[in-house]
Amino acid sequence: MFNIAYPFAAIIGQDRLKRALILNAVNPAVGGVLIRGEKGTAKSTAVRALAAVLPRIKVVKGCPYACDPDQPWNLCPYCRHHLDRLPSAVRRVRVVTLPLNATEDRVAGGIDFSRAVKTGRRIFQPGLLAQAHRGILYVDEVNLLDDHLVDIILDAAASGRNLVEREGISYIHPCQFILVGTMNPEEGELRPQLLDRFGLCVEIVAEADIGQRAALMQLREAYDTDPQGFSQRFQPENDKIANEIQAACQLLPNVSFPPHLRTLVSEICIENHVAGHRADLVIEQAARALAALLKHHEVTVDDIREVASLALVHRQRHLAPPPPPPEPDHDHQPRPDHQPEQNLESNESPRPDQPESQAGSRNPEPEEISPDDQAALDRPAQDQHRRENAVEQIFAVGETFKVKKIASPRDRIRRRGSGRRSRTRIAQKQGRYVKSTTVLNTGDIALDATLRAAAPYQRQRTSGNGLAVVLKPEDLREKIREKRIGNFLLFLVDASGSMGARGRMTASKGAIMSLLLDAYQKRDRIAMVSFRHQEAVVNLPPTASIELAAHLLQEMPVGGRTPLSAGLAKTYELIRNYLLRECAGRPIVIIITDGKANVALGQEKPKAEALALAGRLSRDERLHCLVVDTESRGLVQFGLARELAAALQAEYFRIEDLKADTLVNIVKENVK
Amino acid sequence: MNKRPVYPFVAIVGQDNMKLALILNIINPTLSGVLIRGEKGTAKSTAVRALAEILPAIEVVKDCPFQLSPGEALDVCRACPHIECSRKLLHQEPVETMHRGLRVVELPVGATEDRVVGTLDLEHALKKGEKRMEPGLLAAAHRGLLYVDEVNLLDDHVVDVLLDSAAMGVNTIEREGVSFSHPARFTLVGTMNPEEGELRPQLLDRFGLCVHIEGINDPAARVAIMERRLAFDDHPEDFCARWQDESRDLVEKIARAMELYPQVIIDSPLLYEIASYCLEVGVDGHRGDIIILKAAKTLAAFNGRTEVQKDDVDAAAQLALPHRVRRQPLQDIVVEVDRLRHQKTAQPAAGV
Repeated sequence: MFNIAYPFAAIIGQDRLKRALILNAVNPAVGGVLIRGEKGTAKSTAVRALAAVLPRIKVVKGCPYACDPDQPWNLCPYCRHHLDRLPSAVRRVRVVTLPLNATEDRVAGGIDFSRAVKTGRRIFQPGLLAQAHRGILYVDEVNLLDDHLVDIILDAAASGRNLVEREGISYIHPCQFILVGTMNPEEGELRPQLLDRFGLCVEIVAEADIGQRAALMQLREAYDTDPQGFSQRFQPENDKIANEIQAACQLLPNVSFPPHLRTLVSEICIENHVAGHRADLVIEQAARALAALLKHHEVTVDDIREVASLALVHRQRHLAPPPPPPEPDHDHQPRPDHQPEQNLESNESPRPDQPESQAGSRNPEPEEISPDDQAALDRPAQDQHRRENAVEQIFAVGETFKVKKIASPRDRIRRRGSGRRSRTRIAQKQGRYVKSTTVLNTGDIALDATLRAAAPYQRQRTSGNGLAVVLKPEDLREKIREKRIGNFLLFLVDASGSMGARGRMTASKGAIMSLLLDAYQKRDRIAMVSFRHQEAVVNLPPTASIELAAHLLQEMPVGGRTPLSAGLAKTYELIRNYLLRECAGRPIVIIITDGKANVALGQEKPKAEALALAGRLSRDERLHCLVVDTESRGLVQFGLARELAAALQAEYFRIEDLKADTLVNIVKENVK
Repeated sequence: MNKRPVYPFVAIVGQDNMKLALILNIINPTLSGVLIRGEKGTAKSTAVRALAEILPAIEVVKDCPFQLSPGEALDVCRACPHIECSRKLLHQEPVETMHRGLRVVELPVGATEDRVVGTLDLEHALKKGEKRMEPGLLAAAHRGLLYVDEVNLLDDHVVDVLLDSAAMGVNTIEREGVSFSHPARFTLVGTMNPEEGELRPQLLDRFGLCVHIEGINDPAARVAIMERRLAFDDHPEDFCARWQDESRDLVEKIARAMELYPQVIIDSPLLYEIASYCLEVGVDGHRGDIIILKAAKTLAAFNGRTEVQKDDVDAAAQLALPHRVRRQPLQDIVVEVDRLRHQKTAQPAAGV
């Protein structure tokens, strides 16, 4: 490497991180480590520094797959044919970096272009997975890694070998690697399957101790001014760590694991409600590595206790996980339509048949009542007139949370744009080059694939113009590009007086804010429409500035009657304009309301009119609707929002259903 | 020389923070960049383009596509398309070098990933039947400035690439049949208008310094801006000639500061001051501390001192912290860090 890495020994603090990395170096069976933490906490520095202290291993000299000559059952095809004479060499375990923009052919391997041209034969050129065999595969910002690469890695990690079937090549080679990833959770979470692949997980934070911070600054500055001198200064300490690791590696096969401790391990796992059995195995291997590191011949209870926390962080689940969200209820029985439309608040008819979802582990209502809401509570909700004349109120934004995944379904239509929400094929010559195809229609030629396709035939083809490669039309390949695009999210917010009651608006604002945060992470465009009194207003025309929306939301007043149909009509207008411009667009409309319409646009009854409008909106298949019901859970429920959702063919959520499953629950669902 | 003259850096009126941040980055490239936030028409782009004229010279191997200094990275030379000079280097023969100013490489918002990181050289592949890599913008920007106008509008996957190389100073290419890595240490300069949306937190943190600029409200200064601009547009050569002396003074001052920088020392109480500053204001990670230290040292050097003073630290914090202060989600970026610190330290005191 041309950059001198920061020495491992010079990293201050972060003991758990260093411990986790060293355990992996000692015992590859630990299965990797995921490092989660805020920016600037030496995540990447530590992994890169690790390369210099890794143990030495015996490999077949010159073998690109780093085969182990002592394991004749686990060799690459070439070494298997030359079993009798395998020259061996000793070198350090390698750290192979997988850049985020890697293409499939370089990760899995593919045809060797240069040799194919010269010899006319298809020869396999090993990719990154081959280099990573018996080493460490390191992905910086692993949560940003594209899905198609994640698939390849998961496949190889699960089977321990890499099977390549592409470009007329069929090849298989052993591929066992330690997966090390770093991520900043601010940029989004990891796919559950990939998450489970990491044996250990460390959450790291910055040092809080002033002295440590000062020392850290000085060391870093010393390194930046003179990297070479700095790393020489730390060489002896680094070597000491390297020797400890090497010694532990040799001791490892002799470390025994007392059988009675296996019960302890499984007890710990059960206690922590761990999903699956990988945790048990990881704990056992990590405990053995730790014992070897401490020069013990037998694993002790303390070893297990120490490594358990590392292995359980990302697998643990809470005792009372929130209930799974109820399925959007499209076919629930229609309600008898006899209620007086103007005075819904005073309607007392209890509805025992209301499909009531089980109460979650927490009920947001009682603890979120602010003084403002108390005032709202005190007002007699029944009195329609007083409510209308009441001074408009501005409620605080309630607690925010992580929103569950909302995206439009994947399809094959090519689109333009950028963002991170929905995955789509992309028509412009941008986006990530995923793979190539023989179907030609965009003119976006995949040169590498074209050349590889033509390469084996070059000896038969001759050119008159002095070029080494002759291309024929049948060689042509085009790029398939893919990227996530942001969606257009339209928030339709009910700002009528009924929303002010019982702290609903606070909770609703919290929910909207959460959705906005989510939209921010996914780089969506948003618009906001609110309705109250007699009309609906476009508060925010379509924009990418979520900050603006957040400000508006904070200042949004509440009061007056509920012109739901006006809101829906305005939405229809905006969406229609949007779809005229972007016919492949897939807008998402999020309606936050309790559904208690009481102002009509025309002569019809407000509720019937709203439902009719909703039916019309639902006719466009490109539109995806969500209804967030803000009606508080109590004895009296009208379920009007649910009806609205049914008319819109929308997904129906209560505010608490919107909450995303935590990291832990994602894994749980996956394992099920 | 028939190059179109560039508006001189020293002739820019006001915007002292921005100018200072840019100069600090030239003196000390490890400060890793500036993010300039502000409205349209506040001389953001003018300042960055004008920088090219006052940048110090560096020694590079002649015609090296990776802007290497001799012997910097033999691994790269081994696979370099320039067979001639790589052969000389590997046999330890002297290679031709040249001195030229640091470069400002512009990364357009619409750039494709393959142009940014580098890709397969098509011409070579067709002519010779061999794979060779064609260096991209990151190679061109090595040891120089990478300038991204409207950085917040940059495509996400290009940002990912930038994150990687900006952090580690290495660009790794594993795509389209090419496997290659080369050094890519550059000073990232970005401009953005916050109204068009914010930057991703991870990328935000990669910028060493952050300055907030707005239009100047002093009528006299505004008049000066107009007059100078008009004068420049009418007779660019004359205008530049008029500012030549000041430009040369600045170049010399920068050169002196670069020499002085390694000698700058800092007392340990000030180190503690930096650490407690970051803790009190609330900053993620340690990059804030490190950047303040560097910026304070660079400031001292720029002012011709070999010892860091308290003022340097305060000024450095103003530049290094605004975008690092831990915020409530969707909260605006803090502009005045010192006031925030007063607020935060005052609150617990009042409580007790």
